[in-house]
Amino acid sequence: MSAGQTESKPAQHHLRRNPPIVGEAEAIAAAQAGDEKAFETLYALHKRRVYSLCLRMLGNVAAAEDLTQDAFLQLYRKIGTFRGDSAFSTWLHRLAVNVVLMHLRKKGLPQISLEEALEPSQDDGPRKDIGARDLRLSGSIDRVTLERAVENLPPGYRLVFVLHDVEGYEHNEIADMLSCSIGNSKSQLHKARMKLRDLLRTGQRKEAAV
Amino acid sequence: MTEKNPQEPTMTDCADFQDRLPELFETGANLNEEEHLKQCENCTALVRDLEYIAQQAKLLLPIHDPSPTVWDNIRSAIKSDMGQNSGTSSSARSAT
Repeated sequence: MSAGQTESKPAQHHLRRNPPIVGEAEAIAAAQAGDEKAFETLYALHKRRVYSLCLRMLGNVAAAEDLTQDAFLQLYRKIGTFRGDSAFSTWLHRLAVNVVLMHLRKKGLPQISLEEALEPSQDDGPRKDIGARDLRLSGSIDRVTLERAVENLPPGYRLVFVLHDVEGYEHNEIADMLSCSIGNSKSQLHKARMKLRDLLRTGQRKEAAV
Repeated sequence: MTEKNPQEPTMTDCADFQDRLPELFETGANLNEEEHLKQCENCTALVRDLEYIAQQAKLLLPIHDPSPTVWDNIRSAIKSDMGQNSGTSSSARSAT
């Protein structure tokens, strides 16, 4: 299976990520009718995923908590507009992604276009791997190591990597969210994976040297 | 003088292959059929690692929980929203 082929099953990927949750439909209906307890139930069901998404996109606990709060407040205000055209979790996570992107635009990205902001400096970028004989990664990295490496990606790479490889969004959706071209999204994803490989191999070399 | 093995991949071959790699991944091309990979151990390892990273990323399930303060803040903001709304409705009602 190629890294590209893994994106050929987005529906399955979304389904695995967004499995039906027992009691969710009732909680949504009740929350739409103004039931606060039901809204609390929805928070309990989805807080972990929304927060993890914010944390991975931002790499900062305080900001991730603030934006989790913003996302659920928006949910509270907009839940009446949810019509069930997509899974609730898909709808909520898209809402959360938009909250994070809005925050990033306000914070630092507006001075330059997102297209430019997505391109890290030369120093941050991945290198071509030519002529190197080195450790192989396969089978040797654990979840914590990968999480840490993702945190250390340059922000533009991290956004695309998290949205595509972790959250399962497709390039056309990412291009739409980030206001960049599909080609740019694909290119950033490849560079992100290359950079991750660099980071993971550097970590392995350090471990081997100890 | 040492003669270069024509089968042995050159740095240019690797650079060319790695330039094409994003497109090969995105189109889901069968990389087993890539001539360069049959000869180049280094690019084969690169492809294997990138596939592995993409696979492992899909296993990064949500594991972090926000602190309880987050819900406390949400609840306070909702109450404040509700207070404003009921204030607005009552003032709207009193205006009619």
